Amino acid sequence: MKPVYLVGSGLACALGLTVKTSLTALSQGRDAAATRVLPGESTTCFPYRAMADVSGDWNERARTFIRRVALEARAEKARDGALFLATSSFDIGAMEQGAAVVDYQAFADQVANCLQWRGPVYVLSTACTSSLNAMMAAHALLRSDEVEDALVLGVELSNQLTLGGFAALQLLSPGRCKPFGRDRDGLVLGESIAALRFSTREASFWCMLGGANVVDGRQPTSASVPAVVSMYQKALANCGLTADAIDLIKVQAAGSPGNDAIEAQGLRDSFEVVPPLVSLKTAIGHTMGASGAAEVALLIACLEQGVWPTYADVVDATLGVHLATQAPASVRRFMASILGFGGGHATVVLERA
Amino acid sequence: MKALSVTGRCLASPPPADWREQLTQLLGAKPRRIGNWAELGLYGAMLCLADAGEKTLPLDATLMLTSRRGTYAATGAALAQMGDGLPMPLTFLQTQPSQLLALLSAQMDWMGHACFLATAQPQDLLRLANAQMGQDGVLLGCVDEMDGGSSNWLRLRPDAPEKHDFSASFLAWMPPASVAHGV
Repeated sequence: MKPVYLVGSGLACALGLTVKTSLTALSQGRDAAATRVLPGESTTCFPYRAMADVSGDWNERARTFIRRVALEARAEKARDGALFLATSSFDIGAMEQGAAVVDYQAFADQVANCLQWRGPVYVLSTACTSSLNAMMAAHALLRSDEVEDALVLGVELSNQLTLGGFAALQLLSPGRCKPFGRDRDGLVLGESIAALRFSTREASFWCMLGGANVVDGRQPTSASVPAVVSMYQKALANCGLTADAIDLIKVQAAGSPGNDAIEAQGLRDSFEVVPPLVSLKTAIGHTMGASGAAEVALLIACLEQGVWPTYADVVDATLGVHLATQAPASVRRFMASILGFGGGHATVVLERA
Repeated sequence: MKALSVTGRCLASPPPADWREQLTQLLGAKPRRIGNWAELGLYGAMLCLADAGEKTLPLDATLMLTSRRGTYAATGAALAQMGDGLPMPLTFLQTQPSQLLALLSAQMDWMGHACFLATAQPQDLLRLANAQMGQDGVLLGCVDEMDGGSSNWLRLRPDAPEKHDFSASFLAWMPPASVAHGV
């Protein structure tokens, strides 16, 4: 089967509006924390990793950022291929402004028109794992020779419902995201739009080998250890690899007291020697449906440019895992994992070509 | 594409008037706090599996779900609740179409690849299902609340004896209104 290359990426997030500016901000340790006031309240606010603002309503803002990241990923080269829109909140921000209704195809049409897309368009939503699942769907379609190009577009923009919903579920941190931290106390949300362009007819430095998605509905709002283990085992098997072939794992580690502990146990149970771990949530926040694509785009830039995130907080020693304080000497293959609502557990495997 | 057989189906468009009572019987208890769209989805999926002679999915099977407007009613309710402050936690969860995947996973006591997707053309979904499915095939659902509701499900398997005609079943599975927005 033909290799599936990652041939382009684009990113707009709290750090910057391109991959390059995001990487520069990360290397300088810039803190891009903003705050958001809860819906219906005048004083209660939570930290939020917001993107630099542009004028216009939600729809205009979305179009502006989508065009930017698509241009950066050179999406115009894939317009006859498949487009995967990955999101957990769709265009809810436009609905809040009375400018949209829940209609997935209307949302897809808007984005497709914005990108002058000619090929099939899929809207994919599996909560926080959406864009990793979109990567796996793109990979499968490319491997089956149905298309030669695909674009994964993770879209998660600021809206009141998501913030209010997470606050209602008491999942938000009042302070900072502390991945695997001793004093971790919840998630910090953020927004991002990320584009990953894949191709079987154009080569590049990175190949996507595959991945796995495991839904375990017994705990619909949190992760489960058996599902984390199953996810890693299936992903390795799907890619024809053994655990010792993985040089780095980008973990979820969103700072949730319960989920971080479950993820850590799942890692210990899956790997005899847990590979070096990295988390990007402190830098860009948890960008939900876009997080998989956004964090893969940023991580690859980190690996290519030798930039590494720093962590200010003490790791919880009882978890039995720790985050790498510097880039591993050599990373040939990495996994990128996201655990989310709906019992979703997803990971993808990428390899240097 | 692999040739697929329809080994089970539920075409409930609209479902019968007593579908809620039937669902309660199928589940052994009245479903609580999962929302109308998810209840409708559970109803069709359970009937489809029963028609296929299965109680759960094999581990290598995949679950794919689509919809035109999915959780629009729950989303409307959550947005209305925000007029007074925060949405109710369960209402917020019901706005996520992936919650139905979790409910089905729990109901079937099954862990595996499950995904919510929407496309303009049903054939595009079939193409992707074909590319992603393992040897145990796929459970493919299309669920909507509008116009009296619909909960259409197909159990598709490669290399299996056909129980229902594929072309007729697939045509009926996704109602024509679902393809109104061409890209």
